[in-house]
Amino acid sequence: MNFQIADFTRLIPEFLILAIAALVLLGDVLTRWSKGKEALAERTGEAIAMTLMGLGLAFVMVLIQGGFFNWVQIGDWKFYNFSIFQNLRTSGLDGSILGGAFVVDPLTHIGRLIFIGAAFVTVVLTGKAKPSNNPAEFYALILFATLGMIFMTAGGELIMIYLGVELTSIPLYVLAGYFRRDPVSSEAGAKYYIFGALSSAILLFGMSLLLGLTLMNGQTMNATPTSLSSVKTAVELAFANPEGPSQGVAILGLLFILAGMAYKVAIVPFHAWSPDVYQGAPTSMTAFISTASKTAGFFLIYRVLVTGFDAPSIMGTAAIGAPTSFGGWTSLVAILASVTMLVGNLAALPQTNAKRMLAYSSIAQAGFLMLGLVGTQRDSSVSLLMYLIAYTVTNLVAFGILALVEDNVGGTDFSNLNGLGRRSPGLTLLLTVAILSLAGIPPLSGFFVKFYVFIAAWQEGAKWLVIFAVSNTVISLYYYLRFLKAMYFAPAETEEPIKVGFGPGIVMTALTLLIFGLGIVPTWLYGVLEQATIRIGAR
Amino acid sequence: MHLIESLPTGIPYLSLIWLVPLLGALVIMFLPKEQKQAMRIISAVVATISFGLGLLVFFAYDPNAAGYMGTKMQFVEKLDWVPQLGMSYLVGADGISLPLIVLNGLVIFTGTFISWNIEDRVKEYFVLLLLLVVGVYGVFMALDLFLMFVFYELAVLPMYLLIGIWGSTRKEYGAMKLTIYLMVGSAALMIGMVAIYVVGGTFNMVELSQRVFSLEFQKIFFLPVFVGFAVLAGMFPFHTWSPTGHVAAPTAVSMLHAGVLMKLGAYGALRAALWLMPNGAQFWLPGIAVMTLMNVVYGASIAMVQKDFKYVIGYSSVSHMGLVMLALASMNETALNGAVMQMFAHGVMTALFFAVVGRMVYERTHTRQLPELGGLMKVMPFAFVVFIIASLSSMGMPGTAGFMAEFTIFTGVMNQYPLVAIVAALSIPITAAYVLRVGYMAFMGEVKDPHYHDLPPLTWQEKFSGTVLAIVVIGVGLFPSIIMDYIATGVQPIAQRMIDLAGR
Repeated sequence: MNFQIADFTRLIPEFLILAIAALVLLGDVLTRWSKGKEALAERTGEAIAMTLMGLGLAFVMVLIQGGFFNWVQIGDWKFYNFSIFQNLRTSGLDGSILGGAFVVDPLTHIGRLIFIGAAFVTVVLTGKAKPSNNPAEFYALILFATLGMIFMTAGGELIMIYLGVELTSIPLYVLAGYFRRDPVSSEAGAKYYIFGALSSAILLFGMSLLLGLTLMNGQTMNATPTSLSSVKTAVELAFANPEGPSQGVAILGLLFILAGMAYKVAIVPFHAWSPDVYQGAPTSMTAFISTASKTAGFFLIYRVLVTGFDAPSIMGTAAIGAPTSFGGWTSLVAILASVTMLVGNLAALPQTNAKRMLAYSSIAQAGFLMLGLVGTQRDSSVSLLMYLIAYTVTNLVAFGILALVEDNVGGTDFSNLNGLGRRSPGLTLLLTVAILSLAGIPPLSGFFVKFYVFIAAWQEGAKWLVIFAVSNTVISLYYYLRFLKAMYFAPAETEEPIKVGFGPGIVMTALTLLIFGLGIVPTWLYGVLEQATIRIGAR
Repeated sequence: MHLIESLPTGIPYLSLIWLVPLLGALVIMFLPKEQKQAMRIISAVVATISFGLGLLVFFAYDPNAAGYMGTKMQFVEKLDWVPQLGMSYLVGADGISLPLIVLNGLVIFTGTFISWNIEDRVKEYFVLLLLLVVGVYGVFMALDLFLMFVFYELAVLPMYLLIGIWGSTRKEYGAMKLTIYLMVGSAALMIGMVAIYVVGGTFNMVELSQRVFSLEFQKIFFLPVFVGFAVLAGMFPFHTWSPTGHVAAPTAVSMLHAGVLMKLGAYGALRAALWLMPNGAQFWLPGIAVMTLMNVVYGASIAMVQKDFKYVIGYSSVSHMGLVMLALASMNETALNGAVMQMFAHGVMTALFFAVVGRMVYERTHTRQLPELGGLMKVMPFAFVVFIIASLSSMGMPGTAGFMAEFTIFTGVMNQYPLVAIVAALSIPITAAYVLRVGYMAFMGEVKDPHYHDLPPLTWQEKFSGTVLAIVVIGVGLFPSIIMDYIATGVQPIAQRMIDLAGR
C-alpha cells in the first residue's frame, strides 16, 4: 500500500477539478464583495466562466489520458504523435493507486467523461437561474459532487467507494435545497438528506459485513481487506463451503450494499424520495441528479457486482427453468428491474407536472437499465454502459429544455408547455427528440440501447423479463406522447418565443445531435465500451 | 438488352429513392415559415423525383435475372452498420417490393398536390409527410430485419402528429389510439426480432431465409412477428384503430395511411413472417384465415351502415386488407400473387377514394354525413367520375385493378380453403352494395343544400391527382401483366420455400 509519484499523474483530472473548485471559491472572495444586483451578476458570471473552463480542461485531459485520441486519425498521422499528447497519454496509463483503492481503467475514463460532461451542461444551464447570495458556492458544490462521482466509479475498495458516495451526496443535498426560501426546494433538500443518510447507513452496514467476512477468512496477508478483490476471494471461499455461516454473511452484505445503492439510484421500492426531490430541486440540478448521480450509482453497482460477486454460485441466473434459476443476485436484479419499470411507468401516467413525470420516467428508465445487469456477459455489460451514456445525454436534454422553458414561463406543468410548438419550434423540436428517445423510437439512441439491453437480457436467459419490459415500453409511450400533445396540439396562450441564451442553445443542440449520432452510428462507442468491460472482467 | 444493363452502375438507386424525400424534409425545415409556396413546390419536386426514380428502378428491374445471394433481389446495397450485432444497411428490390415502391411514390406524388391547400403550419406538415414517406420507402426496400423495423417506426410516429395537428373529428383520440395500437404491434415484433437474432445470429433476412429454424421455435415466434405486422394491416381484432385513424387524419395522410401504410403491415408479414418461418405459418395460418373472415365480411357489413362518408371508406379498407391477409393465410402461390396485387390495387383505389371524400367533398361542404350530402354530381362532376372509377375497382369490376387482384385471391383461397373462400365471397355483393349506396347518397338525387351550388370549383391540383390515380386504376386493370409478371417472380421463391419445408 504505497503511493508512488507516478500515481499523481494518473489523478491529474481529479486534482484539476479540486483546484478549480478551490479557485472558484477563492475567486469569489477576491471579486467585488457586495450583494448588490450588479455585483452578484458579476460574481455569478465569473464563477460560471471559471467552472466551465476547469471542466472543459479536465474533459480534454481525460480524453487524452484515456487514449481516446488514439482513434482520431487523419491519414496515417495519429493525433497523439504530438509529444505532449503522448506524454500526457502515458501519464494516465491504466493502473490502480493505493493498493487498488482508486482504479484507473477504461471504465473510470468513461465515467469521468460522463460526469464532467454532465456537470458542464448543468453549469451552462444555470446561466439564467435566480441569483443567489453566494453564487460561487453553488458551482463549487457541483465540482465537488463531480469529484465524488469519479471516486464512486473508480473506487476499487469499500472505504473509497463509501467516501465517493458521501462526497457526491452531501453537495447534492445542498444543491437540491438551494432555493432555501422556496418551501418546495427546501423540502426537496431535507427529504434527499434524510433518505440519503439512511441509505448511507445501510450501505455502510453492508460494507462492514463484507469486511468482517474478508477478515474472517484471513485473506489479509497480501491484499487490502476492504478491496473488492479480497471481497471476491472471501465470497468465493464462503460459497465453497455451503455449510459454514459465512455464506449468509456474504449474502447479507450484498443485499445491504444493493439496498443502499438502490436508494441512490432510485430503484423501486427505494424510490419514494426521488419524485419530490426531482420536482423541488432547481431544474438544472434535477438534470444533474437524474443523470450524473444515477450513472455514477450504476457504475458503482456494476463494478461491485462484476468484480466482487461474479462467482456463478452467487450470480445464479434469471432464466426460468435452469437449475440455478432464481438462486442469485441476477434474479434479484431482474425482479427489481421489472418492479421498477412497472411502478415508474404507472406512476408517471397521471402526473400533471412535466418535471415530476420525467422523475417517474427516470425511475422507469432505471428499470430498463437493469436489464443490462442480469448477467455479466459481454453484451450485457456493453449494453448497460451504452444505455447509461444514451440515457445521460437524453435526460440532460429533456430536463435542460424544461429548465430553459421554466426560466421563461415560470413553471413546469404541462399547461406551461401548451403551444410550445408554435412559440419556439426549434426548442420544441429538441425536446421532442429527447422525449422520443426516452420512449425508444428509432433512429434515436434511446431506441438502440433499449433494443440492445433486450438482446443482452434475452441472451442471459431472462426472456420473461424482456417480454415484460417490451410491454412496458408501450405503457411509457402513452405518457411520453403527452409531451407532444401539449406542445403541438394544445393552443398557445401567446405567440411570444421562449428566450434562450446562446450557450444553452448550442449545448442543447449539440446534445440532440449526439442523441441522433449515438442512435444511428452506435458502433462509434462499441470499441471503447468493449475494452472497458473486458478490462473489468466481464466475460 | 434489358434496361438494367444500360443504367450507369455505382449509383445507389434505392437509397436515393428515400434520401431524396429526407433531403427535401431537411431543406423545408430550414426555410422561413412564411415561404409556404416554396415548401409546397419543394415537396412536390422531391415527391416527383422519388416517384420517377421508383419508376426507373421498376422498369429497369429484370425479372429473369438472378440477384443477390441466389434470390431475385436486385439493386442491392450493403453497408455494415453494427457488425457486432449482425445489423447491416441492406436494401434490395424484388418483384414484391417494386410495385409497392412505385405505389408509395404515386401516392405521395398525388398526395402533395392534394395537400396544396394546407395553410396551417405548412412547414411542419410537409416535413412530417416526407418523413412518413421516407419510412415507408425504407420498409419496402429493407432486407435487414432491424433496418426494416427502424423504418417501420419512422413511418408510424409522424402519423401521430399529422393526425393530431391537422386532423378532424376526434383527432387527438384517433391519433393516440392509432399510435398505441401500432406500438403494441411493434412491441410484439420486437420480441420476435430479439428471439430471431439470438437464434440466428444476424438480422440479414436473406441469410436468415437460407437457414431453417427449428419447428418449435417457428411455432412460438411466428405469431409475434406476424401479429406485430398484422396490426398495421388492420387485422381483426386489432383493426379498430384504422377507421378511427383514417377518419381523423387530414386527406393526404388518409391517402398515405390507407393507401400505403397498411400495406407495410401486409408486406412485413409476408417478408418477415412467412418468408423466414414457413413452418410457423403452416401451423398458425389456417386459424388466422378464419379470423380474417371477420375482416372481410364483418368489415364490409359495417361499412354498409355507416353515416359518415369517411368511415365507409375506412371500413372498406378493413375489408379489403382482410382479403390481403386472407390471401397471405392461404399460402399458395396464386393467393400470394393476388395478395400483392391487391395491395397495389387497393392502395391506388383507396387513395383515390380519400382524395374525393376528404379533399374534394369534405373541405368544400364541411360535412361528411351522408344524409346531409346529395346531388354533388351536379356540382362537381369530376369528383363523381373518379369516385365511380374507384368504386368499380373496389367491387372488383373487370377492367379495373381490383378485378385482377380479387379474382386471383379467390382462386388461390379456393384451392386452399374452399369453405372460407365461399364465405369470403359474400363480401363482393356487400361491397357493391355499400359503394353504390354511398355513391347514390352523396352524388345522385337533388342537391340537398342550396349552398352547394356556390362551392368553389375543383382546383387543377385536385383534378391532376384524381386523373393520375384514375388512370392507374384503369391502366393496371387493362394491362395487369405490367405488374403481375413482377409479382409472380417475387412471390415464387416464398411459395416454393413453403412447399419445400411443408410437413416437417
